[in-house]
Amino acid sequence: MSDRSRSEKESIHVLLIEDDAAIAEMYRVQLEYDGYRVTVATTGENGFANLATARPDIVLLDLLLPDRSGLEIMAEIKEKFRNHPPVVILSNYGEPTMIDKGFSLGALEYLVKSRVTPAVVSQSIPGWIQAGRGQAEPDG
Amino acid sequence: MILAQRLALDLTALAFVLLGVATAIEWYRHRGRAEAMLALSLISLGIVAALGRLQDLTGRSTAAGTVSLVAFLASGYFVLMFRDAFLPLSRRTRLAAAALLAVSCVIGVADATVLASAGQDVSTVLALELVFAWAIFTGEPIVRFWLASRDLHGVQKARMRALSFGFAVLIGVVVVNVLGGTALQSPAAIIATQLIALAVVPLIYVSFAPPSLLRRIWRMGEEAELRSAIQDLLIFSPTQQVLAEKAVGWAQRLLGADGAFIVDAEGAVMAASGIDDQRVDEIMSERAGELGGPLGRGPDGAAVIVAPLHLSEGSGALGVAAGRFTPMFGSDEVNQLQGYASAVTAGLERARVTERLAAIERNKTQFLNLASHELRGPLTVVRGYVSMLESGVLGELNDRGHKAVPVISAKVLEMNALIEQMIEAARLEDGRLMLRPAEADLCSLVSVAVDTARQVVDDKHQILFECRYRPVLVQVDAERIQTILGNLISNAIKYSPGGGAVSCEVATRGGVARVFVKDPGVGIAKEDLPILFTRFGRISTPQTDPLPGTGLGLYLARQIARLHGGEITVDSAPGRGSTFTLHLPESTPSSPVTVPAIEPLGRPQEGESNAQGTSC
Repeated sequence: MSDRSRSEKESIHVLLIEDDAAIAEMYRVQLEYDGYRVTVATTGENGFANLATARPDIVLLDLLLPDRSGLEIMAEIKEKFRNHPPVVILSNYGEPTMIDKGFSLGALEYLVKSRVTPAVVSQSIPGWIQAGRGQAEPDG
Repeated sequence: MILAQRLALDLTALAFVLLGVATAIEWYRHRGRAEAMLALSLISLGIVAALGRLQDLTGRSTAAGTVSLVAFLASGYFVLMFRDAFLPLSRRTRLAAAALLAVSCVIGVADATVLASAGQDVSTVLALELVFAWAIFTGEPIVRFWLASRDLHGVQKARMRALSFGFAVLIGVVVVNVLGGTALQSPAAIIATQLIALAVVPLIYVSFAPPSLLRRIWRMGEEAELRSAIQDLLIFSPTQQVLAEKAVGWAQRLLGADGAFIVDAEGAVMAASGIDDQRVDEIMSERAGELGGPLGRGPDGAAVIVAPLHLSEGSGALGVAAGRFTPMFGSDEVNQLQGYASAVTAGLERARVTERLAAIERNKTQFLNLASHELRGPLTVVRGYVSMLESGVLGELNDRGHKAVPVISAKVLEMNALIEQMIEAARLEDGRLMLRPAEADLCSLVSVAVDTARQVVDDKHQILFECRYRPVLVQVDAERIQTILGNLISNAIKYSPGGGAVSCEVATRGGVARVFVKDPGVGIAKEDLPILFTRFGRISTPQTDPLPGTGLGLYLARQIARLHGGEITVDSAPGRGSTFTLHLPESTPSSPVTVPAIEPLGRPQEGESNAQGTSC
C-alpha cells in the first residue's frame, strides 16, 4: 500500500490471470468501476512476471491457461514467494478434486465462474485481503 | 485245409482287394497326391493278398512271387509317401527311402528267383530284411500320425488314430506271420491272424473315408463341449471381433476342419483360424461365381463348406476348409455348419447391437459433457454483463432497458441452471459425481430451499413449510440436497398452473427422514410414472408441453438421492396433484460427522401411498 491518502479500494492492486479476453475485460470493467487498480495477464508466464514486478495485493487466477495450468502456477508461487499475496481461483471447473487441489496448494478461495458475478467477486476482495493478511506468516 | 481257414484267407484277401478299389475310387474322385499315395499303397496290399490266395490255389510261380514281393514293398513305401504328402519328409529321407526300396526290391527278386534254392536260413534272413524295410516304411508314419493326432480335436483325431492304429496292427500281423514259423501253421492260428488282418481293413477305410454316422459319433464330444460353451460364445462375447475369433475356433473343432474363417458383409476376413487370409480370399473369390450348394472345393483341392451369415449389413460367410488328410465333408457337415452359422449370425447381430448401443451411450455422455461445458463459458460472460447492466456498472439504462434487463437476467439464470443439470448428468454417467457428505439438519435445508423459492414465486402460489421436530439429522452433500429440494419445489409450482399452495413437510419415522413436497397441480397419469425419473424423460400432455424443462431434473434428483442411500418416490393422480417424497437415511446424533452413516434404503415402488404426514 503505497498511497494511504487515496481511498482503500483505489490503492488495492488486483492481478487477474485470465486468458479469455471477454471474461478478463468484463472483470476489468467491474473492478475498475469499483475503484481497484487492475493488471490483466493472459498467460501464466506473463502473470508470473507481473507478480514479481507489480507486487499485487491479490491474484485472481484462472486454471486453464494456454501455457501452463493455474495449479502449476500456484505451486510455483508458493515455492518462490514466501509472502505472496492471497490467491483466489476463478475457474470453469467445479469438480471436487480440482477444488481440493486448489485449496491444498494454498488458494484462499475457489470460485466457479458460472456461479458468481463480477460484482460478487469485487465486493469480496477487501475481505479476502484481510483474510490473507491473517493467513500470512510473519515477515522474516 | 479246413473250410473255415480257407474262408478266412479268402475273406481277408477279398477285403484288401476291395479296400484297394475303394481308395482308387476315392483318388479318382478327389485326385489329390495324398489320396493317390494311399490308393497306391492299399492297391499294392490288395495285389499281395490276391496273389497270395491265387498261389495257394494254383501253386507257386516265380513270376507271381516276384510281383507279390515288389507289391508288398511298394505298399509300405507308399504309406511313407502318403505321410510325405501332408507331413512332408526331408529330401534326404525321401532319397534314403527310395534307396531302401530299390535295394529291398533287388534282394526280394533275388530271393524269389536266383536264391530260391539257397536254403531255409538264407531265405528267412532275406525275408526278415524285407519285413524290416516294410516296417520302417510304415512304422515311421504310424508314430508320426499318432503324435500329430495329439494336437487335433474330434473327427481329425479319430481319423488320424484309426489310420495309425490300422497300420500298426498290420505290421504286427506281418511280423508275427514271418517270425512265427511252424507255430502259426495250425488252422486256428491262421484263422486268428487272418481275422485280425481283416479287422484292420475297416479301420484303415474309415480313416480316409469315414461314414457320416461315424463322423457324427466322433463329433459328439466336441458338440457336448460346444453346447456348454455356446452361451459364453454367443451371449457374453463383448464385441463382434471377439465372438468371430471364438466362433472360428469352434467351427474348426466341430467339423474336424483344418481351417475355419468368417468374412464380413464387405468380404473382409473378420477372423480365421488354421488358414491364412490370402487362402480365405482365394476360396471366397473362387466360390463367388459358383451357383452350387455350400459344399465345394478350394483352389488347392481341399473340400470347403461355406455357410452364409445373414447379417443386417449384408451377407457374410462362415467357412471351413478340410486339410489334405481330411478331404471329407458330407451333407451332414453342411447341415451342421449351417445350423452353427445361424447361431453365430444371431450372436454377431447381438454383439453388433451391443457395441452400437455402447457407442451411442458413450457419444451421448460425451456430447452432454462437451455441450454443457462449451455453453457454460459464453453464458458466464453474458450473465456477468447482464448483472453489470442491472447494477448500473455499464451506465444508466432508460425505462425500456430497465424492463428488459430483469427478463434477460431471469432467462440467463434459467439457462445456467439447465446447463448445470447437464453437467451434473454427464458427471453422474461418467462416474465422476462425488458426494461430499456432512451432517446437516434436513429442516434447515428445506427451510433455505423454501425461502429461495419464495423469492421468485408469483402471487398465485404460496409455499408452506412445516417441520415439527428439529433437528432432523442427515449425512448429506448439502449443496446437492438443496438442488434436489429446489427442483421439487419449482416443479410443484410449475405443474400447478392454476395456482394454490405447495406444501413442504419434514417428518421422520423408523430411521428414515422424509421431505414431502405436495402440490395441487395437474398430476401424473399412472402409465406416465415409469418415464418420470428417466433421463430426458418428459411427460407429454397438452397441459405440460408448453412448460420448459430438460427432463433431467427428476432423473438427477433420484440418482443423487440414491447415491445418498435414499430414494425419491411419487404419489399422484391426474387432476388431483402430486406428492413427491425425498427419503434419506437419518443419522443418529451420536454418530461421528466424518463417517457417513448412510445405509441404502429399500426402494419403495412408484405410486406407493405416502399418506402419512402430508397434511400440512
